Amino acid sequence: MDKFEILDHTADVGLVAWGKSKEELFANAALGMFSLICDAEEVDGGFTTPVEVEGSDYEDLLVTWLNELLYLFEAEEVVLKQFTIQELGQYYLKAQVEGEPLNSQKHHIKRVVKACTYYEVKVEEVEPQLWRAQVYFDI
Amino acid sequence: MAEAWKGPLQKVDDWRWLIPRSYKKGMLTDGMIYASEKMISVIRKDQAPEQVANVACLPGIVGKSLAMPDIHWGYGFPIGGVAATEEKGGVISPGGVGFDINCGVRVIKTNLTEEEVKPHMEKLLSLLFSHIPSGVGSEGKLSFSIPELERVMEKGARYIISRGFGFGEDEENIEERGAMEGANPEAVSAKARERGKDQLGSLGSGNHFLELEVVERIFRPDLAEAFGLFPGQVIIMVHTGSRGLGHQVCTDYLQEMQKAMSRYGISVPDRQLACAPCNSPEGRGYFEAMACSANFAWANRQLITHWVREVFEQVFQKSAPALGMSILYDVAHNIAKWEEHEVEGKKMKLCVHRKGATRAFSAGNPTLPPHYRGVGQPVLIPGDMGTGSYILVGTELAMQETFGSTCHGAGRVMSRSEADRRSKGRDIAGELKERGILVRAESKATLREEIPEAYKDVGEVVEVVERAGISKKVVYARPLGVIKG
Repeated sequence: MDKFEILDHTADVGLVAWGKSKEELFANAALGMFSLICDAEEVDGGFTTPVEVEGSDYEDLLVTWLNELLYLFEAEEVVLKQFTIQELGQYYLKAQVEGEPLNSQKHHIKRVVKACTYYEVKVEEVEPQLWRAQVYFDI
Repeated sequence: MAEAWKGPLQKVDDWRWLIPRSYKKGMLTDGMIYASEKMISVIRKDQAPEQVANVACLPGIVGKSLAMPDIHWGYGFPIGGVAATEEKGGVISPGGVGFDINCGVRVIKTNLTEEEVKPHMEKLLSLLFSHIPSGVGSEGKLSFSIPELERVMEKGARYIISRGFGFGEDEENIEERGAMEGANPEAVSAKARERGKDQLGSLGSGNHFLELEVVERIFRPDLAEAFGLFPGQVIIMVHTGSRGLGHQVCTDYLQEMQKAMSRYGISVPDRQLACAPCNSPEGRGYFEAMACSANFAWANRQLITHWVREVFEQVFQKSAPALGMSILYDVAHNIAKWEEHEVEGKKMKLCVHRKGATRAFSAGNPTLPPHYRGVGQPVLIPGDMGTGSYILVGTELAMQETFGSTCHGAGRVMSRSEADRRSKGRDIAGELKERGILVRAESKATLREEIPEAYKDVGEVVEVVERAGISKKVVYARPLGVIKG
């Protein structure tokens, strides 16, 4: 099972993520999104913070979760690589995320991801213990 | 790759293609795409026409769901989409504006010719590149306190000019005179402020750029003269928006409207089209916060203008007024606005959403500054990196058919990953230099994603709006040098 796959889109970029559980799915979606921003090998530790988001269903929760991480990247200036989902219900997610303060000498930022959109967003259990999610980003 | 679109497109004439209301359930009106026959085969390659049909489902839509010839696959609205909704019963949709609120274009004129500028190009570009912050997460050189940021959100470019970054006459050459009414900083979240506050006065990355160009072809000499443009003249084009502030405002209100839609009994075919009634607390809140972001973007382009003038003053040892560095115009191409339009003989106040489309008001419009009222508004159409730009003027037909709107640029035809594959191993800056275009870029990856062949030919796009009669070509300007984020 691949953790994620990048989808072609004429103007923007899509992402499909996989997970054996929905917790793993949400963590892999975050990894996939950060792979668009910077190579994970360039990121060490040194920064950690809890993240909590609410949503109206799994799709809303996924979009809100990814947008919260984009906010951290831009406002707190951190690149993230480790996502531990501690609680995940239909309307609530709690996680601990880890990464490193942005260092322009060390981290080669590939592009700006402006936002995660709701366009064609999907979160589904395609078979027992196999979850799949799909989102598109505004680049 | 994307799935091709197989729905119905009825040819109205050589430049107009109709998606009939009967195409799918929920459409409240027809869709109309402005394009040539050749473009239509490309447009059908992805789901952009479906998005035109989806927009036709928005409650309170007035007229048709429109798409300009630079239409391409977006999310929610297509890029190049225009839709107007009525005040009562109509909705406002953050997806109809997009994340980069008031992404737009400004052109600064000079009285210098290509011959005069050519010898200084390397120096000019280096200085512009070092004076104007660009790139991913770029931060402005000035820091603004929270009260100052609030003034920026309320008063946009006017506040920045009052702080000494510009001339009094600048404001009348900006759409909305650089500050949209109805902006209320209280509607902007702490997160949005946090994301935007250090980015005022920065170009950003992606398709944003600053370009030095030379006016090469004049299509309508009388209009060119009215705009103060002449052959061989060097002009500067600035393309950027509201940066992180706008992105967060859109994110915040999309989430809020997801929740609000069921309360208002609204359902839409795509969640990214989340919307709320214009007069609901959510709809009003979004408009107030969007206006704040739009004003931030006009302030941003004003600060950049100030630094462009400073660089030219330093290189040419003359003052900006002596160099003729006035603003031709400044247009927004991602915005929603309250405008008055005549619909079936009746004047209506409408919320016009333009997502990758430019306002193109014709002669006689009372909202235009006096010096353009007799000829119509300059419409600034950037091409992709390296192909040059067009300056158009709005027409009466656009007022009747498109709520005074036209195209906004070239429009992508190639995904970023395909552009990346096709440019592998190529020296993009070197290729452009051979064509006489100097490039300074913060990131090589951006250059590769933005290769000229990733875009439609802006010339073809402009030809369609001219032939369809919704704009007229005034001049074409060829690029001399580009700064990319």
